[in-house]
Amino acid sequence: MSALGHYLEEEGLATVAVALIRPQAEHTRPPRALWVPFELGRPIGPPSDPAFQKRVILAAIGMLVEGGGPARIADFPDDDPREMQDPSWNAPIDLYAGAGDAAALADAMQTEALAMAPAYAQSCTRRARSTVGLSGLPPAECSGYIATWLRGQQPASPVAGMSSALALRFAIDDLKAYALEAALAPAGKPSSRQLGDWLWNGTALGAGLQQLRRDCLAGDDERLKTVAAFFVPALRVSPA
Amino acid sequence: MRLEKLPAEMALRLSELECPDFKGTPWVEGKPLSQRRVAIVSSAGLVVRGDPVFRGRDADYRAIPGATQANDLLCSHISINFDRNGFQEDWNVVFPLDRLSELAAERTIGSVATTHYSFMGATDPMQMVDGAREVAGKLKADNVDAVLLTSV
Repeated sequence: MSALGHYLEEEGLATVAVALIRPQAEHTRPPRALWVPFELGRPIGPPSDPAFQKRVILAAIGMLVEGGGPARIADFPDDDPREMQDPSWNAPIDLYAGAGDAAALADAMQTEALAMAPAYAQSCTRRARSTVGLSGLPPAECSGYIATWLRGQQPASPVAGMSSALALRFAIDDLKAYALEAALAPAGKPSSRQLGDWLWNGTALGAGLQQLRRDCLAGDDERLKTVAAFFVPALRVSPA
Repeated sequence: MRLEKLPAEMALRLSELECPDFKGTPWVEGKPLSQRRVAIVSSAGLVVRGDPVFRGRDADYRAIPGATQANDLLCSHISINFDRNGFQEDWNVVFPLDRLSELAAERTIGSVATTHYSFMGATDPMQMVDGAREVAGKLKADNVDAVLLTSV
């Protein structure tokens, strides 16, 4: 991102980068950067907090009319209040109690996905949006496609113009988004850690993706080995 | 990101991630904020629903018209090692178009660009040069003179 600051500014456009990783900004030395202490993925800070977000943006664009450059880095002083856990939040669904073999896990994952539908619909209505859509498949088809892989089969791609491995990756992205958006239906302001703990420790989807990742990495299909790296976040990988 | 909150190995990897070396740094000055036209350029791999998603470390970019609704913006970034819950709850966490529109309405900034842009941040930055220069031309044609760069 800091490199884009160089390229655009060289073309005559004043830029300011909101930087999450300060050492990278220090190394790349863009014209202006505002380092923010928020977790990766949240450059403007907490969701659903317009006042806080506006302070971040004003701190950033304010640098456009300040001197002290080039290669000026400023620090935003405040942490994201949404990193705090919200004890009032409850998971939208609590069905998963462990499953036996991969086929049982696949069944549990599909059952769970169906059971999440009301919470997902409620969440979509409240937010007037969904971020599901990368694969182009509805959530139930994403779930079915992933479950087929989990059962050890190698289905053809259900998406025109996309290889089966790429369709698997995007179906997984979509089903994770579906579950995490369903998790926004209950009242409360959950932190990303709370949501992640639920997804990866308390759902059949989380357990299924861990299993599928291990299966793909243990196989000899290089395309599957490549996409398997994008199933489970590094901090959530379970060895067995 | 407070790197000290991450496991040491991951913090080290992020802080030592290979970045391009630039010999100098350009610097453009301009009008007061109240007269600036502001665009968002994101490296979050954002795409408008129905447009081609970023499939890997693509070097090109996607246009995001200012009239895009929140329901039509997706994140196809290849990395899964950053939070997506914030964006799922509120697109302004990554793409603060509502906030910029409010700042324009209250005349803190002059106006908001007609079109915004997104790249895939996991791509080697050196491969983005041509796309970035193309985007710069489009932004200037839209009379943009201030760019808010957001990464994830």
